[in-house]
Amino acid sequence: MGVRISLRDVWVRIGPVEVLRGVSLDAGGENIVLVGRNGAGKTTTLRVMLGLLKPYRGSIVAESNGVKLDAGRIQPHVVARLGVGYVPQGRMIFPDLTALENLEVSYGSSLPGDVLEWLYSLIPDLKRFIDRKGRYLSGGEQQMLAVARALVKRPKLLILDEPLEGLAPRIVKTIVEVLKSIEEEGVSIFITESGSLARVRELVDIAYGIDRGEIVYKGPVEGIERDEKARARIWGF
Amino acid sequence: MLGIVVDLGYVAAQTANALFYSSILFLIASGLSLIFGIMRVLNLAHGAFYMVGAYVMYTVFTRLVSGAEVGVVAGILAAGLVLAAIGYLVEVGLLKWVYSKPEEVQLLLTFALILVFDDTVKIIWGTEYKALQSIPWGSFRVGEYLIPVYYIVTVAVAVVVAFGLWIMFTRTITGKKIRAAASYPDIAAALGVNTRILFSLTFALGAALAGISGAMAAPILTAYPGMGTEAIVLSFAIIVIGGMGSILGSFIGALIVGFSRTFMAIVYPVLEIALVYIVMALILIIKPTGLFGEREVERR
Ligand SMILES: Nc1ncnc2c1ncn2[C@@H]1O[C@H](COP(=O)(O)OP(=O)(O)OP(=O)(O)O)[C@@H](O)[C@H]1O
Ligand SMILES: [Mg+2]
Repeated sequence: MGVRISLRDVWVRIGPVEVLRGVSLDAGGENIVLVGRNGAGKTTTLRVMLGLLKPYRGSIVAESNGVKLDAGRIQPHVVARLGVGYVPQGRMIFPDLTALENLEVSYGSSLPGDVLEWLYSLIPDLKRFIDRKGRYLSGGEQQMLAVARALVKRPKLLILDEPLEGLAPRIVKTIVEVLKSIEEEGVSIFITESGSLARVRELVDIAYGIDRGEIVYKGPVEGIERDEKARARIWGF
Repeated sequence: MLGIVVDLGYVAAQTANALFYSSILFLIASGLSLIFGIMRVLNLAHGAFYMVGAYVMYTVFTRLVSGAEVGVVAGILAAGLVLAAIGYLVEVGLLKWVYSKPEEVQLLLTFALILVFDDTVKIIWGTEYKALQSIPWGSFRVGEYLIPVYYIVTVAVAVVVAFGLWIMFTRTITGKKIRAAASYPDIAAALGVNTRILFSLTFALGAALAGISGAMAAPILTAYPGMGTEAIVLSFAIIVIGGMGSILGSFIGALIVGFSRTFMAIVYPVLEIALVYIVMALILIIKPTGLFGEREVERR
């Protein structure tokens, strides 16, 4: 059941900088937050998980219902088709495409009416701007669309990169509600956060802490603030 | 002078001439623009593709098929297919390895391809001009002037291609995926789009457009080594005027270049070529993205 992506001792270098230094983690099955300050390596970790970036050392395995991909065969579109949804940092809505076309590209063909109805029931605001081009959407609208775009294929694992960053409280509430309801339907989420865990705490059970490319904590979310060493490296206090 | 201005036949003939020339330019420039707009690859060898298209037409027309009408239609189809195949092989075999390299590497590689294609053409077809001898479909008369029906056919092909590209990019899922991948290739891939195949397809399509353009040009302009150089320089002017990646921009840009060259050649030949660049410079000053170029999207 579900999708699992495992990284083992993953090392990534960008230019002269070691951005990931021996990262090991498992996504899928549980609801997880990856927390670390700006530049800690969260986005880079996600890019490795999604097959967008090849580590120079270490292994990555993605599997779903007995289909197993290892490093050589990890390609982003193949990972996606295993049942992985992705909400990128900064939303990255295709600017020349309408909201509906953004959904279609992710779905892979034109959207059946019932899929669209399902999305409207999750995120009613979508209806208001469904025919507007990406570049004319507000930040909040783009973020709702980015979540819808990741959900349209009914993924089993949803990866979100700081999806609550810079949003109005109303939008944050909408997105948190959507994530709660898809969790109830059995979707696992893997979310990143660069600041306080307050807003995501109710969504996740497990936390990974990352600092300067190293995993500095793995365990229950409640434990991370009690772990002084991890706390110091993640939040600096 | 006055006599020329009021001679309707003359104006009609020159207009037909300009429309024909604009159509050829549109076909080649739209392919270049497509490849640049979507893949951010400036393909210097695009003119060489145009040249090969003209030679394919010459061979099909003179060697393989009898009958001018059939010969031209077969030549256009053959040039489109041959160049799609060449484009596909170039993308998969060479270009795809240099996307992550600095831009100079792409430019050097596509420049090297020009040399390879130029020499290959000389080896296969020699260095003389290759004329087709006959132009199909005859001509019609306006006043004292004869206008080849072939001009009208070429314009029709350009219009059909423009419309087809528009349908493809606005109505088909493949077109929408290509537009998505043009903005954020990584995001499109992570959402399940096989961008690798789409880029090969885009490059093959762009090359096919250059081939069709060369094939359609050959009956009037003949085929000769170096014909690609002139074509690519004008194509750059067109996509700068019209806006990179915009099909409508290529269409309008080709009309501007085609008409300004044709009519300057009559009115004031000294400025025939210069006018194109004056227009280009003015547009760059007034609207640096070109007439129909959208705001540049930042790529990650
Ligand atoms: N394309 C790149 N070029 C140069 N450096 C990069 C690039 N991508 C990431 N880095 C560097 O790698 C490190 C980790 O970056 P990453 O984006 O993974 O951090 P992050 O935890 O996602 O940060 P944020 O919270 O700001 O999104 C940073 O120091 C960053 O400067
Ligand atoms: Mg990040």
